[in-house]
Amino acid sequence: MPSATFESPELVDLFTTYTASPDSIGAHLARATAREAEHDPLLVVTGTDLALYPGGGAAPVIEPYRLASRGFKELAGISHLGPALATLAKLRELAARDGGDDSGDDGWRADSARLLAATKAARAANSAPLWRDQIAVRAFAGREEPIAVRLDRLDDGFDPNQTAADYTRLISQDHVNLLLGTFSSLLNAPASAIAARQGMLYVEPSGGAATLFTRGFTDLFFAQPGTTTSLPDQFVAWIASLPASERPATAAYVTQDDPSASPAVAVFRTRLQALGVKTVYYQVYDPSTTNFDSIAAAIAHTQPQMIIQGAVADDGAQFVRSLQKLNYNPKILFQTNAPTDETYPSAIGGAAGADGVFTAQSWSATASYPGNQSFVQAYTKMFGAPPTEDAANSYTAGQVLQAAIKAVGSLNQAALATWLHGHTVATIVGPLKWDKAGDPEGSLLLSQWQHGTLQIVAPASAATTKTILLTKPAWENG
Amino acid sequence: MTELLQAVIFGVLTGGVYALMATGLTLTFGVMKIVNLAQGAFLILSAYLCWTLWAHLGIDPLLGSLIVTVPLAVLGIGVYRFIVERVQRHDHGLTIVVTFAVALVAEAVIALVWGPDPTATTPAYFNQAFTLGPVTVPRAQLYACLLAVAVTAVLQLGLKRTWLGHAITAAAQNPEGARLIGVEPKKIGTWIFAIATATTAFGGAALSFLYQFTPDSQDTWIGLTLSVVILGGLGSITGAFAAGVLLGLAESVTSTYISVRWAEAVPTILILLVLLIRPQGLFTLAARQDAAA
Repeated sequence: MPSATFESPELVDLFTTYTASPDSIGAHLARATAREAEHDPLLVVTGTDLALYPGGGAAPVIEPYRLASRGFKELAGISHLGPALATLAKLRELAARDGGDDSGDDGWRADSARLLAATKAARAANSAPLWRDQIAVRAFAGREEPIAVRLDRLDDGFDPNQTAADYTRLISQDHVNLLLGTFSSLLNAPASAIAARQGMLYVEPSGGAATLFTRGFTDLFFAQPGTTTSLPDQFVAWIASLPASERPATAAYVTQDDPSASPAVAVFRTRLQALGVKTVYYQVYDPSTTNFDSIAAAIAHTQPQMIIQGAVADDGAQFVRSLQKLNYNPKILFQTNAPTDETYPSAIGGAAGADGVFTAQSWSATASYPGNQSFVQAYTKMFGAPPTEDAANSYTAGQVLQAAIKAVGSLNQAALATWLHGHTVATIVGPLKWDKAGDPEGSLLLSQWQHGTLQIVAPASAATTKTILLTKPAWENG
Repeated sequence: MTELLQAVIFGVLTGGVYALMATGLTLTFGVMKIVNLAQGAFLILSAYLCWTLWAHLGIDPLLGSLIVTVPLAVLGIGVYRFIVERVQRHDHGLTIVVTFAVALVAEAVIALVWGPDPTATTPAYFNQAFTLGPVTVPRAQLYACLLAVAVTAVLQLGLKRTWLGHAITAAAQNPEGARLIGVEPKKIGTWIFAIATATTAFGGAALSFLYQFTPDSQDTWIGLTLSVVILGGLGSITGAFAAGVLLGLAESVTSTYISVRWAEAVPTILILLVLLIRPQGLFTLAARQDAAA
């Protein structure tokens, strides 16, 4: 049997001659090839670095593209939280099995404390400005807000059923920490009921029907200065301040069948009647109404000096167009919501047509409340257009949440609600304070279109002009 | 008395506008038995096109409607030849589904192009009125109603006096007989869709200065125009006009003397009554089903 270590000298020599020796033919070819390319650059890419060898034996330039990438460590810190918890769990399991190290627990307790402290510190530092201005990853530009705060936005399609489904999902499936309300009382009614059932704080930016705050909910807060009940405050006060000879004697009331608009108009009617203003027409119309000619004609027939309309959206402009067609010009016209829409003046034939029209506003771009001007400037810079009232209301709701969380220092829903019930929050719509039901203890601003600008005329503390047009100018038509 | 007179004037003028908007649907529904649910979207598209001509070129919507008829006719031809006719070959009943799909797509395209905000034209006469003693006649409504009368008259004349009109009438009354004498259904269908869609330009023009509109306004108008067509009788242009006026009058008088909210229910109540008492429509003679078969 041949030895296991026997090698044939002749055959091994053949092997080393070509294949396996520093002086082999293969090695000669390798050196010759290397000599030919020794001045060529070489790029080596690993999982963490890029190494560029410039050639000629010069030292490489190494560019770490992973750990040195902007935002890599910050994002990895967050994304590795899950594995970190699993690692702690494994450490604890091992410590339980073998008694652990000198500390007796393989250090999992100390590591847990370290992780908790680091997480808290990271959460305190986390903000949209941090991601936008300091970490400043170009690929994240414009998405800093959702990175800093996980913000779920769902489309309710202006459908109460969809709204209910959305909030159920946010609470039950997405397990969100905080809720912000939607717009319109019609939608906030089911959403706030769901939030109340789940013990969640619910701050709503819009939808101030007084009936929302009579259902015994204690976690509901309205982020505007007033609801439908207080909407007429400033206007009625102004009418009451007029000498009897200048007060309107008759009024027509028309309103969309809406949880915010129709109760407000009912309050107008009651309070103006108490001032001696006779009601000559009262009509509630369906939200789908687009033709106001018959209503306008009936109103014109009764010749009221003042018209109050509970308008929700474009029904305000449609109604005015119908009045214009009849060339019926009331001495005083008040409409809810619609006149604050940026398309309102153009829809009724130009800003001059809007002159003298009153409305109530929750917010004004010119108001001097703390933070308001900064908000207007930042919003305009970010979106290229000044903020709308809806945008301001959303911002205000965020301010309310922020103030409560900062003060309480936790996301405990009951504690947040308790704090809000007991404190006044400074916002861009003025200081907000709520009663037990979350109804704000203030009133809206009274505004009037004057020479193409929506001016605040009351209260005096927020007024942008001292002038109030007592008689609405005639429509600019034939 | 003044109140009643004013209500009647409003009713007639508004009804004329309803008729104008329903004309195209009358043709497709009456002659081809196709409920073209895209007609509402075409109406809104026309309104946006008229608005564009008015806002950017200063062309009055009434004049602009003449221009808009051209692209709308082309659109109608395209929808018929590439979508409706192909579906119709397989299952006539599916045409209502496919026109609904066209309406949805059209609404989305309109929203993409013009955005979701309410829009309206405001030509000089949009808020002006003639005063006749104690009553007021809004100029915008009057012009729209006169336009409705003109469109109805032209279409009626076209149906009575031209070969195409005779062919359309023949195809409506006896499709097989019409085919035997050389009336090609596909060609007639193309013409009907072209005319029906083109006439929405006039309805859209009126809509643009009478009301504000958004991409989804079609929902409101398709229901109303269907009511007019059913009331007037399938395929009857003059019937549609009369039905529109009747509807407008009923709404106006109900709003004035009963309630605005009841006025919303007037079209439904009238349709129920007509279907119970005179299912062929108020202004159409009962068709011989054997001849039409």
